[in-house]
Amino acid sequence: MFVDTVIEDKSLHKPAFLLGLSVAVLIFFFAFNFTDTVFGELLSPVIGNPKESGFFGRLVVSFVLSAIFVLNLFAISFARLRVQIFIVWIELFLLFLAFAFSFDLKFSFIQSKIGLMVSKGLFTTIYISAVSIVIATAIAIVGAIAKLSNNGFAYAIASFYTSLFRGLPLLLQVYLIYKGLPQLGFMVDAIPSGIAALSLCYGAYMTEIFRAGIQSIPKGQWEASRALGFRFSLILRKIILPQAIPIIVPPTGNQFIAMLKDSSLVSVLGIWELMYMAKTLGQRDFRHMEMLLTAAMIYWGLTIILEMIQARIERKYQQKT
Amino acid sequence: MSIKLGFTNSSIAFAVALLSLNMTVQAGVVYDYIKSNNELMIATDANWAPYSYINDAGEMEGFDVDVAKEIAKRMGVEARFITPSWDIITSGNWNMRWDVSVGSMTPTETRSEVLNFPAVYYYTPAAFAVHTDSPVTTLAGLNGKNICSTTASTWEMYLQGNLDMLDAPAFKYRVTPGTITSLVDGSACLDDTRLGAGIRNDGIIDSVPFIQNAIENGYPIRFLGENAFFEPLSVATDKGNDDPELDAEIARIIAQMKSDYTLTTLSMKWFKNADGSSNDYTNSY
Repeated sequence: MFVDTVIEDKSLHKPAFLLGLSVAVLIFFFAFNFTDTVFGELLSPVIGNPKESGFFGRLVVSFVLSAIFVLNLFAISFARLRVQIFIVWIELFLLFLAFAFSFDLKFSFIQSKIGLMVSKGLFTTIYISAVSIVIATAIAIVGAIAKLSNNGFAYAIASFYTSLFRGLPLLLQVYLIYKGLPQLGFMVDAIPSGIAALSLCYGAYMTEIFRAGIQSIPKGQWEASRALGFRFSLILRKIILPQAIPIIVPPTGNQFIAMLKDSSLVSVLGIWELMYMAKTLGQRDFRHMEMLLTAAMIYWGLTIILEMIQARIERKYQQKT
Repeated sequence: MSIKLGFTNSSIAFAVALLSLNMTVQAGVVYDYIKSNNELMIATDANWAPYSYINDAGEMEGFDVDVAKEIAKRMGVEARFITPSWDIITSGNWNMRWDVSVGSMTPTETRSEVLNFPAVYYYTPAAFAVHTDSPVTTLAGLNGKNICSTTASTWEMYLQGNLDMLDAPAFKYRVTPGTITSLVDGSACLDDTRLGAGIRNDGIIDSVPFIQNAIENGYPIRFLGENAFFEPLSVATDKGNDDPELDAEIARIIAQMKSDYTLTTLSMKWFKNADGSSNDYTNSY
C-alpha cells in the first residue's frame, strides 16, 4: 500500500482519544456482565462473593477489565510495527484458546482419535482437493481461452458453463452429480462425484479469473506481436500468459484455499474425509466438540501452509515484473 | 444395467452407458455381481451407536454391522461398508453403488415403492425423551411443542402423522407436535436437547436403545411416558435393480440366524439396559 509521508501523532497517544476509548470499552464490559466468570472470582477479595456483589461488583469487574484492555493497547503502541503485529497475533490466539478451553474438553479423547483423523480424514481431504485443483485449473485455462475466442460455439458453451456452475450452490451440484448421473445410467461413486462437483464449480470461478487476467494485458501487446508475425498460440504462451500470471496468481490462491475448505461439503456423500470424521468419531462417546475443534485446527493449519506457499509464489512473480 | 466407473475412462463408459440405457435388468444380476466380486457392499449409518459407528481403529462396529458381517459370511463373500446419509439410502435408486442396506430400516409403504424388504431381523420400541429439567411429565404435555427427529425416519413420519409401516403392530398417534425439527441424525437432535428444555427443542423421538446409550453417556435426558410404537427392522435391497435371487438368499440367511439364535446373541451383546441386563429384541410383538 501507499506509504504516507505525513506522519501524525498516534491516536492512542492523544488523551482525548484514550479517554473516549476507555469509556466505550467500560460500557461494553459493563453491558456484558462478566461478574459470574473467572474474572469475578479473581476479584473476589475486593467485591466479595461474585454472585452477591450486585451493581458494585459488576462495575468493579468491568472497570478492571477495561483498564487492562486500554493499558494493553497503550503499551503495545510503543513497540515497533513487527513486534506490535506479533503481540496482537499472540493475544488473539490466546483468546481463541481460552474460548476453546471453555468447552471442558477431554484431551485424552482427542489423543485417541487424532491418528485416525489424520491418517484417514486428512489424507482423503488432501487427496480430493489436490485432484480437484488440478482438474479445475485445466478446465479454467480451456474455459478462459474459449470465452476470449471469436468462435461462437466455444464462447456460448464456455459462458453457459460458467453461468450455470457459478449460479448453483456447490452442495446442490454435489447432490445433482451424485444422484442425477446414475439415473442416466452413468454410474459414479461417491469420491469421483465429489471431485467432479468441486472441479466443475471451481473451474467456473477460475475461468473468470483467468479470463480477466488475460484481458487485463493491453491490446497493444497482441497487436505488436501480430505485427512481428507470431502465431496465436505462441503469442499466448510466450507473451500474454507470462504477463497475465502475476495478476492471476493471488486470486487463484484464494480459490485453492476456498476449495480445500469446501471439500468438506462432500461429506454428505459419506466420504470419510476430515469433516465426516469430525462429525462421526465423537458420536460413540457423545464428545462432538472435541472432534469439531480438532478438525478446525487441522483445516486452519492447512490453510496457513497454503497461504505461505501463495505468498512465496507471489513474491517470485513480483521480482520478475 | 448400470456401469461402475472410475474417472479415467469416463468418456468411453459414458457412451456405453447411454447405449445401454434401455436395457432391462435381468433377474439375479446383483447376486451374480456380489458372487463374482466376492464382496457384499453394505450401506449403513456411521453415526448411530450402538447400531453402527466408527471405532478407534477406524472400522465399522455395532449391532447392524455384526448382522451385516454375518450375512456376508454366510453368503461366502467379504463384507464392505459404505456410509451414505440416511435420506440417500431410503430414497432408493442405488444403481449398484451398494448391494444391501443393513441399517435397521422399517418397512413402510412409501419406502416399498423404491425398496424391497426381504427379511425383518429385529424389532425395537420407539420412545420420546426430554431434558431432565423439562416440566413435561406426560406425552400429552408435548402437544404443540417443538420435537426433534431424524430426516426421512419413521419417527419423523410418526410426528407428521403419516407413518405407514408394513406388518407392524397397531399404534396410536399420541403426540401432535407444534413444530417438527428434522436433523441429519439422532445425535444432532440430542446435542440440541442437552442445551436445556425448550431451548432448541422440547423433546426428541428415537429408538429406545439409542436414547438408552445417550443416557449411559451422561446426557441429561429421561424417557417420557410409555413407548410410542414398535417397529420391525429389516434388511433392504434396491427395487430399481430387482433381484429375487438376492432377496431369497437374504431371507434364507436371516431365518437361519434366527433359528440358531445368532441374532439373539448379537442383540444381547449390543442392547444393554441401565441395570446391565441385556435385551432380546428379536421377538415379534
